[in-house]
Amino acid sequence: MINISDDIITRTVSRVLVPFIQIYALYVIMHGHHSPGGGFQGGVILGASFILYLITHGLEDAKKRMSELKMGLFSTFGLLIYSGIGLLCLILGGNYLDYGRLSTILKVIPAQARSLGILGVEIGVGITVMAVMFSIFFDISTGGVLPEDEEGLGTSDE
Amino acid sequence: MGLFALVFLCLYRGIFGPGILNRIAAISAIGTKTLVILLIMGFIYNRVDMFVDISMVYALLNFIGTITAAKYLEIGGEV
Repeated sequence: MINISDDIITRTVSRVLVPFIQIYALYVIMHGHHSPGGGFQGGVILGASFILYLITHGLEDAKKRMSELKMGLFSTFGLLIYSGIGLLCLILGGNYLDYGRLSTILKVIPAQARSLGILGVEIGVGITVMAVMFSIFFDISTGGVLPEDEEGLGTSDE
Repeated sequence: MGLFALVFLCLYRGIFGPGILNRIAAISAIGTKTLVILLIMGFIYNRVDMFVDISMVYALLNFIGTITAAKYLEIGGEV
């Protein structure tokens, strides 16, 4: 079980640093088609910020902000964005993830529709990678035993 | 070129170093040197704006890795 850190330097530095890490992760996701990065890399940085928060502020505090159920919902939601955009292109008469077809419903030229489609797919990938990375770290740090299991409440209700 | 030699000196300390704390410090120092090498490569290829992004992520993950290793020692992991 990871408890809150005793060291005030570690706690303060991580509390100051976590919002900047998240803004940088959003920049990497949004700017992925002009510079190094993209959905996966931005999602990894976003997950790393939550892992830093969990390490320095303990498991209980991190569970209040990002519970296991919320992380599961986020991972499926990101996958839904990805496959939804892909299937929308399929419905509109193109191939899977053929973003040029989105121009008919977005009312823009096809080149701009491709840029927006790639951005949407990268946001979906980023959300999924963030949620899965954090939930893997969460499961490892709890050792597979959640506190509600110890209290005899049975399995969670997701 | 001097930086590359220093990376190998730190790698020696990281592999054969006595104790886990020397190894953590050596890995952290290697990460910092890699960051500077990445920026110098950016100047060589005239694409500093690209390499600054990569080196920032490298510094960030290096910091989180060191904190995690220190936390592992704090909660009573095996040395």
